[in-house]
Amino acid sequence: MPDINGLSFGSTIDTLGNALTGSAMQNQQIANNIANANTPGFHRSAVSFKEALADAVDGTPADSDSLAMISDDDRQFTTGQAAAPVPFDPKPQTDDTMKMRPDGSNVDVDREMAELSSNSAYQQTMAQLMQTQFGRLREAITEQTK
Amino acid sequence: MAGMYDSIEISASGLSAERMQMDVIANNIANANTTRTPGGGPFKRQLVVFAQKDDPTQGPDGVDAFSPEATGSGSTTAGVEAVGIAQDTSPDRLVFDPGNPDADPRGYVHYPNVEVVKEMVDMMSASRAYEANVSAIQETRAMGNAALNLLRS
Repeated sequence: MPDINGLSFGSTIDTLGNALTGSAMQNQQIANNIANANTPGFHRSAVSFKEALADAVDGTPADSDSLAMISDDDRQFTTGQAAAPVPFDPKPQTDDTMKMRPDGSNVDVDREMAELSSNSAYQQTMAQLMQTQFGRLREAITEQTK
Repeated sequence: MAGMYDSIEISASGLSAERMQMDVIANNIANANTTRTPGGGPFKRQLVVFAQKDDPTQGPDGVDAFSPEATGSGSTTAGVEAVGIAQDTSPDRLVFDPGNPDADPRGYVHYPNVEVVKEMVDMMSASRAYEANVSAIQETRAMGNAALNLLRS
């Protein structure tokens, strides 16, 4: 009898869930940057969650173009520098570059608004994909009864 | 659960800080010609001091904002805070008007060091920053709605 805790709906849901988590973290950092737009000496921070997401998906550094093949069994073939997927655990990082303001802050509100908008669109896209995926699963579950 | 509500709280801290800035600017403009104050002398221009709230994600120990240590307290510590109101120490505006009852022995009246044009510019800046925070809350709400819609149908 399969363990219910081990029940998985596939890695797509996990990946999309990580994407939602990452974009929520990013949204929090952008909100903090905007709130501190007039704070002298403030340094903006961001979460590079997309790189962390890529690492979690293919287990290789994000800058590598090759998509490595992952194996979870010794009898499976592997290619390239296939490494185990790393846990999705992005951290907010302070951005110390681009001191463009006389008060020592490096917040550019226009840039933050653009990132806020694109991050929100990204999150809503991921949520839509997740909804579609749940729809597929639901169809697979209920199709038998028709 | 951290995330959405923390973001709104951070933006709300920005809203209240910018609103305080607007209050102080309005007070400066209202008192642009006030020559008498309870403490004596003309009114002094006031400034709001903004400071970043202590953010666990910026700490030296590198605590993750989503970790139980950071979120367990139930309150976010990031955002902005108006930590105080300071006085502008620049010199008073002197106007030669010997007949004025507030004139000094040399005939000069000390007017506040408030420049209305500068206050107007500051007010626009505060107003735009306020709008930016409102936009951030709206985007956060849109994201929350998208996540909530996962439960539908």
